[in-house]
Amino acid sequence: MRLILVDRSDEIRRNFFPLALSRPLWQLRCGITTLEEKLAAKLVPRSLEGIGADDAAYFVPDYMADAYRARAKYPVNDMSALAGDDLMLVDPLVKAEDLRIRAEGKSEVGLDEQGRVFYARIVKNDLKKLVANSIEDFVASAKLRLPNVTCKLRTWEYLWDLVLANADQITSDFAAAGKCGIEGKVEKPGEILGSKTDIFVGSRARVHPMVVIDAENGPVYIDEGAEIQPFSRIEGPCYIGKESILLGAKCRSGNTFGPCCRIGGEVEESIIHGYSNKYHDGFIGHSYIGEWVNLGALTTNSDLKNDYSTVSITLEGQGAINTGSTKVGSFIGDHTKTSIGTLLNTGCYIGAMAIIMATGKPLPKFIPSFAWFVEGVVTKGFGRTGLYETAKVAMSRRGREWTAAEQAMWDAIFQMTAPARDEAIKRGRKAMFR
Amino acid sequence: MATVEERVKAITARVLGLELDEIKSEHSFTQDLGAESVQSIELVAMFEEEFGIEMDEDAALAVETVGGAVEFITQVCRQQGVELEE
Repeated sequence: MRLILVDRSDEIRRNFFPLALSRPLWQLRCGITTLEEKLAAKLVPRSLEGIGADDAAYFVPDYMADAYRARAKYPVNDMSALAGDDLMLVDPLVKAEDLRIRAEGKSEVGLDEQGRVFYARIVKNDLKKLVANSIEDFVASAKLRLPNVTCKLRTWEYLWDLVLANADQITSDFAAAGKCGIEGKVEKPGEILGSKTDIFVGSRARVHPMVVIDAENGPVYIDEGAEIQPFSRIEGPCYIGKESILLGAKCRSGNTFGPCCRIGGEVEESIIHGYSNKYHDGFIGHSYIGEWVNLGALTTNSDLKNDYSTVSITLEGQGAINTGSTKVGSFIGDHTKTSIGTLLNTGCYIGAMAIIMATGKPLPKFIPSFAWFVEGVVTKGFGRTGLYETAKVAMSRRGREWTAAEQAMWDAIFQMTAPARDEAIKRGRKAMFR
Repeated sequence: MATVEERVKAITARVLGLELDEIKSEHSFTQDLGAESVQSIELVAMFEEEFGIEMDEDAALAVETVGGAVEFITQVCRQQGVELEE
């Protein structure tokens, strides 16, 4: 059985910008694991790590295929992966807890009343019935030629859904991981509140003295090689990724930090992908932050409006969308950097590869990708070259390489996001000339 | 209509807070006129608006002197079909 993940719909992907600009949807984090890891755990009896008879294949937008191929374990946009084995094609946005499909059985396509395909189980012998010119034709022919089953599965609709569900997902992922206890080092004096069965400290992880781990309201998972420096307080549910460092952080409940993050100040109910830094004081709450982001000292976001009304967010290429939630923070794309003292408005969207120079006032709620926000307006700034140079330096400091494929992907993202940016630059020019 | 040089100098004076007669063609924006990086960004934006042109950021920011800016802008205006006072 081969797991096939498909992420090719621009219309759906836009709801997960700015994070989805530079990664397939299944690479989004929620709880302890990515969406892919959750789906894979539901579908195949063995972990995808130990390939055996089980493997996977990915179909992503063409512009990111080369860059993703370099970091993916399985074939990317390779039509030959649709032959030679039974297939289980899954919509990466289906909530894993709703997915109760048997890997074995006859071919069937599960779809909703509008015809959105949630999954397609295709036995090897039926593959010859299907059109394999493109993944889109393949799925369309499966829908047409294989038995259809109408089903209701919940899906992730917007990026903020992941933030709002993060605390619960950490709790369920902790239970699924089945790990507890201390494999690393927890130094005294310190305090552990709650049951020790709700705490896991991975190997090589080090919890310094004067740290409080509070698992009374949810589990705390500190992954391999992480370091918790003195005067940090960690409230569960919480996941601290491999090799991440907490620097005297007030880590409120519901946080997920990816690998190699540096986290200080106060963070609440937020997801931060790997290699990002929020080193200093300042509050971040109910936010989703990409990779290689640097938040300058005292960068702070609002996650609640003064009138307690629901928060709207403007997504790139879309108008304002009411999240229906009163607690929503900021959404920040990969490689974006904020200056010291940046103030982020409630429901603030900052695209990828943006540079923010604070003005002392809260930022506008929408700043497009590749924008240089200077003197209170969006400008062209020093353009792409300067941003790429900074990205190269940031990545090399952590032993990662900026590849030609990566640059080609970012060039494509630059073009894709040009309309919103050009519009913002025009508005900025008007303000500049006033 | 003023010449390209006059218009470039007028904008430079406005953005950098200088008197017109303090600005010479051979002056470097950063070394002689004290332009900070933020002001360089502003200068590029103002030149684009003034002349109604689109400049490549990397090429524009590589220009070092006032005279260099006049030359560069003249060239871009010609490429983009913008009429100029000689």
